[in-house]
Amino acid sequence: MASLIRCPHCGARPKEEFTIRGAAVTRPQPDAGEDAWYAYVYLRDNPMGPFDEYWHHTSGCRRWLVVSRDTRTHETYGVRDAAAVAGESRS
Amino acid sequence: MPEFALVSRPALPHSPVGDASRVRIEALPEGHVLHVLAAGGRDITPEQLASLGDGTAHAVRRYAPGQWFVVGNEALGSKEYREKAARLGADAAVSDQSHGRVRVAVSGSGARSLLAKGCAVDFSPSVFAVGATAATLYNHIGIHVTRTAEDGFELLVLRSFAQSLWEDLSVNHGEH
Repeated sequence: MASLIRCPHCGARPKEEFTIRGAAVTRPQPDAGEDAWYAYVYLRDNPMGPFDEYWHHTSGCRRWLVVSRDTRTHETYGVRDAAAVAGESRS
Repeated sequence: MPEFALVSRPALPHSPVGDASRVRIEALPEGHVLHVLAAGGRDITPEQLASLGDGTAHAVRRYAPGQWFVVGNEALGSKEYREKAARLGADAAVSDQSHGRVRVAVSGSGARSLLAKGCAVDFSPSVFAVGATAATLYNHIGIHVTRTAEDGFELLVLRSFAQSLWEDLSVNHGEH
C-alpha cells in the first residue's frame, strides 16, 4: 500500500488520513442498459500494475481524489482532485 | 422557568502546562469560530475574507478548497453574527461553529517537536511558514493547525475531542 499520498490541496500526507473507496470506474449513463450497470456495480478488475482509485482525504481537506498507483511497487504516479478528473472526462 | 439552569462551562478548564521557554500548552478563550464555505464555483477574494475577521493576524485560516475558518477571542452576539454572515452575500455560506470547536495554543522552542509526536505534517519553516495552515490528525484526533509565529502554533479541535487532545498533548509534553 502506498503510504505517502501527495494530496493536490494539502501536500504529502500519510495514508492513515485517507479512506479508500475503490476503483475509479466511470458511471454509465442512466439508460446504458442492465449489462453496463451490472458491470459498474459488481465487476472489478484486479490489475497487477497501474490502478486508479477513489481516495477520500477524510482527515484533511475532505476532498475526493483519484490516486493512480502501482499495485506491485506501491509507487504513486499522481493524485488529482476527483472533481477536476470528472471535469476533464465531461469536456 | 427552565427545569435546569444552563451553565456555560469551558471545554478545557485547565491551567497552561509547561513554560514558554520550552513548550507551553494553553487553552485559548472560546470566542468565535466561523466556518466559511464558498458557493459552488465562486471565488472569494482575500479582502472579502479579511472583512469577516476581527483585524488580528491569522484570524482567517484556510481549511480546504473554498473553505476557511475565521476565529477570534471575542464571543459574537447573534446580531453581530448575522451581520457578518450577510457580508459575503450569495458568494459564501457562513456557519457559526463557536460552540463546536475550541482552540489550543502550543508555543515555545519545542512546539514543533511536540506537534511532530502526533502529526505527520512537515512543520519545518521552509515548508510551513508563519500563516500556513493544515487540516490533519494529532494521534487519531482531527485538528486544524495554524502557524501563528516562528515558535507558535494554534490547534483548532472539535469541542468533544478537546479533552482527549489536551491529554495527548500533556502526555507528550512530559517527554520534553
